[in-house]
Amino acid sequence: MRALKLEFYKIRRKKIVLMILLLLAAEMMWAFMSTSVSISRNPDHAVWASILFTTASLNGLFMPMMTAIIVSRLCDMEHKGSTWKLLGALDVSRGRLYAAKYGCAAVLLLLAVVLQAMLMTAFGFMQGFADKLPAEWLVRYIGGTLLVSLAAASVQQWISMTVRNQAFALCLGMLGSFVGLTGGLFPEAVRRWLIWAHYMDLSPVTIRYADHVATFVTQALPPDIAAFTAGTAAACFLFGGLHAARKEI
Amino acid sequence: MRRSFAAEWLKLRHSRIGIAIAVLPVISLLIGCVNYALNREVLVNGWYSLWTQVSLFYGEFFLPMLVAIVCAYACRLEHMNRNWNMVLTAPVPAGSVFWAKWAVSALLVLAAQALFMALYWAAGLLLKMPGPFPAETIGWYACLSICALQLSLSIRIRSFAVPVGFSLAAVLAGLGLYVAGKGVYFPHSLLTIGMHALNQEPLDPRSELLFWIMNPAYALLLAGWSVRGLKRRDVATA
Repeated sequence: MRALKLEFYKIRRKKIVLMILLLLAAEMMWAFMSTSVSISRNPDHAVWASILFTTASLNGLFMPMMTAIIVSRLCDMEHKGSTWKLLGALDVSRGRLYAAKYGCAAVLLLLAVVLQAMLMTAFGFMQGFADKLPAEWLVRYIGGTLLVSLAAASVQQWISMTVRNQAFALCLGMLGSFVGLTGGLFPEAVRRWLIWAHYMDLSPVTIRYADHVATFVTQALPPDIAAFTAGTAAACFLFGGLHAARKEI
Repeated sequence: MRRSFAAEWLKLRHSRIGIAIAVLPVISLLIGCVNYALNREVLVNGWYSLWTQVSLFYGEFFLPMLVAIVCAYACRLEHMNRNWNMVLTAPVPAGSVFWAKWAVSALLVLAAQALFMALYWAAGLLLKMPGPFPAETIGWYACLSICALQLSLSIRIRSFAVPVGFSLAAVLAGLGLYVAGKGVYFPHSLLTIGMHALNQEPLDPRSELLFWIMNPAYALLLAGWSVRGLKRRDVATA
């Protein structure tokens, strides 16, 4: 816990939250505009499912990059300041340091996802959506988005910690965004192996097209995809931690 | 200027930045080609249909991010170990430092774009596209103003990741301006126009002229801002 507190202490003037807010503002403005246009064309879309679906689909583009930026900033400050040796000399195991950085990234990601949910709720009330606020959907949305982001963060942290040059970590984030955005084009058998494409899969709402008409439908939590994402997060965290702990500084 | 450029080029040796540059065009093209091949019955506009599939996401969202990564990389060494102090006390003008970084970044982006176009051409031949190769899709020129913008940010901001985040936000601002019909007034929407990612129709003469003028204008303006900053601002080394 003390290591986690110190991580937050180190980033107190790094303006990471400001960067998160900037990216969130861009994403949510796009989501709100897109949903408003959709409602103006089809009043049946004035339901909570529309904003949840639009935001989940945009998360594929934004969240992998946001995750890459957060994790890269947390690790790069140690690379740039040459403070790995200082940290390594502390009476704290490297595994705990690794976990503290991951915990810090997880809290920042949780903050971003909860803020998203709050903004969506505010938008829904402002638009006067006809149906009741689906609290269960919001909880599932927060859980699903956070789970995929945590899996992406575990991969990013492995790269950001072990490769000093952050260009590779950011490139991975960019490719994650690409996969997240184009995930719908992949066949099911391929998509299930790509963690960045799971933002839509773990969303409580999806869209079905029949006779050129789009309808929002509830989708059950796919246990295999959720288990694979959680397993990837755990495996990358574990192996990344072991690799970082054994690597010579 | 030549010495500054040579120094920048020297810094790229053994950097493996080429891997980072090559991955995105290859993946974009592969996904686009597979999507084109699967939907060939509805995509009937030959080379342009293939272009919509391969360039939509690449040109609109990810090329600007790649430019941001390249520009951040060009400033990475200076932000480490107090190297800005060494660079700014070297017997070269601050302008040379900026323009050398800009030229190297632009060349690296040109390499990515050349690879993308070569793969597009090869894919078109493999998929037996009818008609001539659409040369107007080469949008590298529009990257020059984004290079200047991202370089200005990367020189000022010590973090590698933050300018890349700004780039993602700027892409959306550019998309908004493009949709609002003000595309020629913002670097990121200039790229949308230059890449013909959303619209394959030729520009009207006025927009075409503005497109060719605004790119160097933005590059000069941002270079001026950056060089002024390099001359006047204290280097943050902490």
